[in-house]
Amino acid sequence: MAATPLEVRNIKKRFGDTEVLKGLSLEAQKGDVITLIGASGSGKSTFLRCMNLLEQPDEGEIILHGDPIRFKATRHGREPADWKQVVQMRAKLSMVFQNFNLWAHMTLLENIIEAPIHVLGIPKKEAIEQAHALLERVGLTARANAYPAQMSGGQQQRGAIARALAMNPEVMLFDEPTSALDPELVGDVLKVMRDLANEGRTMVVVTHEMSFARDVSSKVIYLHQGLVEEAGTPDDVLGNPQSSRLKQFLTPNY
Amino acid sequence: MLDLQGYGPRLIEGAGVTVQLAVLSLLLAIALGLLTATAKMSRHWLLHGTATVYTTLIRGVPDLVLMMLLFYGGQIGVNAISDILYYSYDIDIYINFNAFAAGVLTIGFIFGAYMGETFRGAFMAVDNGQIEAGKAYGMSSALVFRRIRFPQMMRHALPGLSNNWMVLLKTTALVSVIGLTDMVRVAAEASRATHEPFVFLIPVAVAYLLIASVSEWIFARLQKRYDIGFGEQ
Amino acid sequence: MLDISAWFNDLLSGNLIFTSTTLGYYWTGLVTTTQLVFLSLVIGLVLAVPLAIMRSSRRKWISLPVYAYTYVFRGTPLLIQLYIIYYGVVFFDGIQESFLWPIFREAFYPALIAFTLNTAAYTTEIFRGAIKATSKGEIEAARAYGMSQSLMMRRIIIPSAFRRALPAYGNEVIFMLHASAIASVVTLMDLTGAARYVYSRFYTPFEPFLFVAAIYLCLTFAILFFFRFLEKKLLAHLKPQTP
Repeated sequence: MAATPLEVRNIKKRFGDTEVLKGLSLEAQKGDVITLIGASGSGKSTFLRCMNLLEQPDEGEIILHGDPIRFKATRHGREPADWKQVVQMRAKLSMVFQNFNLWAHMTLLENIIEAPIHVLGIPKKEAIEQAHALLERVGLTARANAYPAQMSGGQQQRGAIARALAMNPEVMLFDEPTSALDPELVGDVLKVMRDLANEGRTMVVVTHEMSFARDVSSKVIYLHQGLVEEAGTPDDVLGNPQSSRLKQFLTPNY
Repeated sequence: MLDLQGYGPRLIEGAGVTVQLAVLSLLLAIALGLLTATAKMSRHWLLHGTATVYTTLIRGVPDLVLMMLLFYGGQIGVNAISDILYYSYDIDIYINFNAFAAGVLTIGFIFGAYMGETFRGAFMAVDNGQIEAGKAYGMSSALVFRRIRFPQMMRHALPGLSNNWMVLLKTTALVSVIGLTDMVRVAAEASRATHEPFVFLIPVAVAYLLIASVSEWIFARLQKRYDIGFGEQ
Repeated sequence: MLDISAWFNDLLSGNLIFTSTTLGYYWTGLVTTTQLVFLSLVIGLVLAVPLAIMRSSRRKWISLPVYAYTYVFRGTPLLIQLYIIYYGVVFFDGIQESFLWPIFREAFYPALIAFTLNTAAYTTEIFRGAIKATSKGEIEAARAYGMSQSLMMRRIIIPSAFRRALPAYGNEVIFMLHASAIASVVTLMDLTGAARYVYSRFYTPFEPFLFVAAIYLCLTFAILFFFRFLEKKLLAHLKPQTP
């Protein structure tokens, strides 16, 4: 039996005097789509960034396939003991950013083949073939040789998803992937994400899109001030909220 | 027609020395500048402090004084080493204090400090999200540097780099004072010998303008290359 | 008083390189360097203001000659400029017979001329940049109030350009101080000249060159702080307001 692809336990994180994550845990089984929701400042993005160590959690464990990241104590707090292990781990978790972060000096195609060639060591020819297949999938075949600055936000984000897929990741991390987009461009990106969920990708998604959380995810976690306030199936959490805070959060503000 | 009174070949040789000196110094300055910028951005106090002292001292003292200090001081240092070798180990070798190498080292060392500032600013201008994306896809720091930070930094560094190069080019004239036979030294010697300063000094001035114009063209092309993907095409 | 000079002699005794004689050279050198730099900067500044206005002119026949001047003087080494003036001054017809000859025979004036022309070229371009950067709104406002071109230049553009040019001009002053070290090449006894003289007499490079390097460093910092102070006073209005 395969171990859990991604498991994090009791993550704590402080920025200066404020404790932004007060002990958060999450377990993503194969095929799970876990959405993290919550007001801004609830810590959901920081939590996601701790999972691939773009932020260093002060406490807690991160375990990939039963293999925990090793930490060592330093004068400034805790640090990964072996950065090589972190680098290898990140290669298995592709992140999609709120601001796309496509590399500006490379064309879309170059963006997609960059990490597969230099990190995974895939031959260039193979990487390009795969990239074209992925571009077709996200509907950007025509834009392969465009630079990010020449594309719309929605195109950039779909390109960024293709870049993430090219790593053939075990878990995909989405950090508010539609928040920086104009409303009319959100739909295309969400459609790509729905397709990914339907084909059984393991995903952890920070989002404000309640319809996505409701329709697609297998589990919804509502965070409030660095703690899990409610968690469960979308029907339970979104359909039958228990706490007054979540009820208020789910009430549309007109 | 310009009568160079037989100094023509020596002037051309001198011009060769000037260009070689400038290009090699530039390469050294770029290497030192990258090191300095990295040290300055480091959180380690010793690295940071050393780089700060280096850039502050170098930029506070005239090039010519530094040059003489390093040049004459270096000569004495080399003599001292050969003395020690001779008296202590009975090794009798004459270490040739190569004036050209000393010139390259000195100018490279001076402009490394200026380049350090240029590169530091340029590195800081690279959007952090670009670097994070590299990290998030499992790139090592070295790979992130080579594939993302360096090419994106160059775009911001080129104007300053080009500026530093123009100043460096003119600074090479100073080596004529400490005994290197660049084109300025040849021209000055010829002027004194023939009492016709304009005949020799003005062509050399024109040569500097020419080199500057060619480099301007090269830098404009480089800028275009590194600007790819940024802003309107 | 006697105590101090006794203490001083005591301090210097046994030191071959820092004697009261060599310290005298350094003092002369400091005076020469200061005179050269100060005079060339002041004259250069006076020349640069009209030149910058001409350089900003839309009429090509006014702006182009100025551009040619700044291009040549900024594009060639100061050392070449100094040589051309120093060796070339004899060739001006009649100069050797004129009353000016005793002045020009000395290296000080050729050096002063070279430095002045050089700094004027750099300063012209600094001011031109500052003039060009005047906001369109300010110019339009001046036009709307019926100011003539020259009045607008005098009352609006130049004062604001001066302030904007300040940081770059501060750098130019430091650059000029450092560039002045080449005066020693044409036998002038400036700070560097003093160090070279002491070096040639004692064949010890470290003491004289480190000593003058320290003096230059102090002068550089003094200039730096002076311009910081000026910027604070004159550019206060450009700072974001903190309530």
